[in-house]
This record gives sequence, C-alpha cells and structure tokens, in this order.
Amino acid sequence: MLCSSSAAIKRISVSWLIMANNSNFKSHRLSRSDDAALALESSTKRPRTMSTHSSLKDAFSSYADHLNALNEKRERIVKASRDVTMNSKKVIFQVHRISKANREEVLEKAEKDLAAVRDQHISRLVKELQGTDFWKLRRAYSPGVQEYVEAATFFKFCQTGTLLNLDEINASLLPLSDPSLEPLQINLLDYLLGLADLTGELMRLAIGRISDGEVEYSERICQFVRDIYRELSLLVPLMDDGSDMKTKMDTMLQSVVKIENACFSVRVRGSEYIPLLGSSDPSSFLVGVSDLLTGGDVSCSRFKGLGVGEEMFAPILKIFEAFLDRTLLKLM
Amino acid sequence: MAGGDYDSPQTSPSLEKQFEKFRVQLEDSGSLRERIRAVVLEIESATRLMQASLLLVHQSKPIPEVLQKANSQINVLKGLYNKLAEVVRECPGQYYRYHGDWRSETQMVVSLLAFMHWLETGNLLMHTEAEEKLGLNNSDFALDLEDYLVGVCFMSNEMPRYVVNQVTAGDYDCPRKVLKFLTDLHAAFRMLNLRNDFLRKKFDSMKYDLRRVEEVYYDVKIRGLATTGDSVGDQGAQKI
Repeated sequence: MLCSSSAAIKRISVSWLIMANNSNFKSHRLSRSDDAALALESSTKRPRTMSTHSSLKDAFSSYADHLNALNEKRERIVKASRDVTMNSKKVIFQVHRISKANREEVLEKAEKDLAAVRDQHISRLVKELQGTDFWKLRRAYSPGVQEYVEAATFFKFCQTGTLLNLDEINASLLPLSDPSLEPLQINLLDYLLGLADLTGELMRLAIGRISDGEVEYSERICQFVRDIYRELSLLVPLMDDGSDMKTKMDTMLQSVVKIENACFSVRVRGSEYIPLLGSSDPSSFLVGVSDLLTGGDVSCSRFKGLGVGEEMFAPILKIFEAFLDRTLLKLM
Repeated sequence: MAGGDYDSPQTSPSLEKQFEKFRVQLEDSGSLRERIRAVVLEIESATRLMQASLLLVHQSKPIPEVLQKANSQINVLKGLYNKLAEVVRECPGQYYRYHGDWRSETQMVVSLLAFMHWLETGNLLMHTEAEEKLGLNNSDFALDLEDYLVGVCFMSNEMPRYVVNQVTAGDYDCPRKVLKFLTDLHAAFRMLNLRNDFLRKKFDSMKYDLRRVEEVYYDVKIRGLATTGDSVGDQGAQKI
C-alpha cells in the first residue's frame, strides 16, 4: 500500500511537472481524496500493473543499452574521422610544398605521413565498423574518409601522374584489419566525393607550378582535372545523395576553368617575351623569368652574356612582374 | 619535373575503365532503389487502408469489429515486408544505404500496429512483437529500433483524440486507462539517452499528449463521471 501510494504521488508529480510548462494549472487541483482513491485503485490492480510495468521497463532498459552503445560508437567514429581529416590535410599541405628542387624528399615525407594516417587513425575506424555499420554510420565517418581519399589521390598524382583507383586504396586498407573481421572498404560514394575535392587541390598545385615555371606540368594537371570532371559529370545523376555532389561539381568546374585560364595567359601573353629573354628552350621560357624575378643580380648576370644590358632589361622586367602578379592574384 | 612521364595526352585507359565500372555499379544500385520504392509504395497503400479502417474507432464502432478489418491488412504488410527484405537481401550489409526509402513508412506501420495492439491488450507492443507481426524476427532485415520508437511516439499522438471521442461516446473509464498507459510509457521513454534528433523531438511531443489526456481525465473526474472502481474498466478491457 505504501509503495503504491507513493507511486500514485509520483504520477501526480510528473503531471505537475508537465503542467508547469503551461499556464493551465487545472490538474493540480486534483484533490487529496481523489489521490487516495487512485492509490486504492492501483493497489487492487497491483499484481497486473506491476508485471506489465516491469516488462515495459525491462524492454526499455534494453533499448536504452542499445541506443547508448550505438551513440558511443558513433562518437568514437566521429572523433577518429576528425583525426583522419586533420592529418590528411597535413599530408595535402606537405605535397603542396613540392618544387623542382625538393620533389623527392617532399614526396617521401608525404608518403610517410599518409601511412601514419592510415595506421593510426583509419585503423581506428576499421575497429569500430562492422557489418551494417558501414552504411548506418556513414555520416559519422564520411568526411574523414573523403579527406583521406583526397590526400591519397593527390599524393599519388604528384608521384606518378595517375589516378589512384578505389580498388588500390581499399587494397591498402586491408592489412589494417584482423583477418577475422570485416575489412573497412571505402565506398564508391565517398571515393567520388573525395575526388571532387581533389580537383581543388590540383588547381592550387597547377597555379603554383605555373608561377614556378613548370607550364607543361600544369597543362598535364589541366588535362587530368578535365578528365575527372568529365567522368564525374556522367556519374553525378546516378549518385545516392546528389545535392552534395552537385555543388562540388560547380566548384570543380570553376577549378578547371581557373587552370585553363592560367595556362592560356601564360601561353598567349608570355609568348611576347620569348625572343627578348633569349631562352634556349622556347617552351619553358618562364624558367628564366622566375629565376629573374626571384634571383635578382644572379639571374641578370645570365643575360649579360647574351649582350643584353641590365638597364635595357629593367622596364620589361617591370611589365612582366606586374603581369605575373595580376594574373596569379586573380587565379589564386 | 620529369616532364617525360606526363606526355601521354589522352585519358588513360585505367581511369576510363574505373569510371565505367562505377557507372555500372551506380546504375545497378539505382535500379535496386527503384524496386525498393515500388514495394514501399505498396506498403504505403496497405498502411493507408489499415489506417482508414482504424479511424472508425473514433466513431465508437465496436473495437473488435474495427480491429478485425484492420488486422486483415497485417498479413498484406507481412507479405510486403518479406518482399522488401528479399530485394534488400541482394545487397548484403547495405540495409542502411537504402533505409531512408522505407523509414517513414515503417514508422507509420509501427504506430498503427502499436495502437491496434494497445486496443486489443492494453499493453505496449514491444519491439520484438512488432518484428514478429511483420514477419521480420528471423530475418536479416530487421526493424530498426529507432524507427520502432518513433512509431510508438506517433501512436501516443493518436491517444488524446481517442480519449476525447471515447468520453463523448460515454466511456468514462477510458481516460484513466489511457493516462496510466501513457504515464508508464513516458516514464519508460525517459530511460533512454536520446540524441538531438527526430526521435528526441517526437518524444518531446509526447508530454503534450499526456497533458491532454490528463485534462480529459480531470474533466471527467471532477464531474463525478468516472466510475469509482475497476470493475467497469476491467470488464471493458476483457470484452475487447
């Protein structure tokens, strides 16, 4: 009796709580005698209500366990995904440090960093994800995986000039997992979304290479980005969540156009200066220019040998500097 | 930069091949999705029939009669869910890739089943029982727990209307039963740690159902319309 009446009081207090949200306070005028009647009522019904109540409780506590486990797992995955994102970004920046002189060492370090991302952070995802989790929790890990795809493909392009295939990435993830477990396999959609981001990085790389004088390389990048854009444009309408990809396609097209314009500017306007520069290799006329712009006296001395006076060269240099500044600023 | 490596001017064949493969894969998943949607459309229309027959409960049609008609749709739904499970079985492990396509429909189904179950027994339809009714208990195509819980919240939304109409029709004991049921249900839901998602929002709306039922109960009680003992209420439950 004591127990059931306290239950009744609890019930009233719950309703009280809810009532407090509202200006309508009718129900707490529920009189004491009613309250007592209620308690009496529930005491006569006690056996039945108690049993259904506890089965309800049991069921919901198992639901709670299930939801807790799922939420905790999701949190761990989100954390791992963030770490993957952060460290993949570092790899991308490392690759951007590339130049003619330090190519080998930059790529070597990038490769090491990329392997570290895989071994330290992607491996955490592998441990969490099993069976239906790959799709259920995709939103939790997708950003990290996309960034990783971007870093891995970017590195691979700089290393070999080719596209890293999905199968190749997935093969590289196989050693991370126990053979008994289901291995993490990056899904097609995340791979494609990562590729879409890759083009932005390639655009930056191309612009950087142009200012460094590697025009041919930039044209190669341009070709590559166009290929990716074209192939992706065929796939976008078929993808599950198209809207995300569509915005990425727009930025991708902008990147392509930026690279094209950069290549165009260098070809058209740059060609005017070739005879003056007297470079031995007409296609890489800018190599000399960039040396000139950065090297100061040393590079000017190169032209002394060709019989071009410093004072005669200065105005041209000024024009060229202005042109490069303008073009590159616009492009970046 | 070793320019020589980059001379190959046209798209490399491996790149093209990979994208060709992707296109085939995406088209396959697209056609699978279409088949899923076709089944889901059928589920939706069966659900609508069930709901329509269940609505008669508000017009104080005798419950057994209402339930009989609505129950006839359960088997239809069971068949359809089997069909859906079969389609989804073609892509093992990808249940949640397509989950969005049947999610809201399934929540609706659960809410109706739970309401019917409550009308019949006065108890909450448990997750496993719901799976059983849809023939999913031994299937790899499970009823997602969160979908089940959202469905239960939907059912609770239906309660105030039911109580109002029952009282209007003269069943003064109904508010007490419903209030007890909803209070227990609300307490049970409070055991869950919810995220800030759809389910949380639905659960938050449950307290308004509870309040409405309390108001009705109060109105009936204060006027002395509610029966004092259990006898009538219990008889009612058993009659059902």
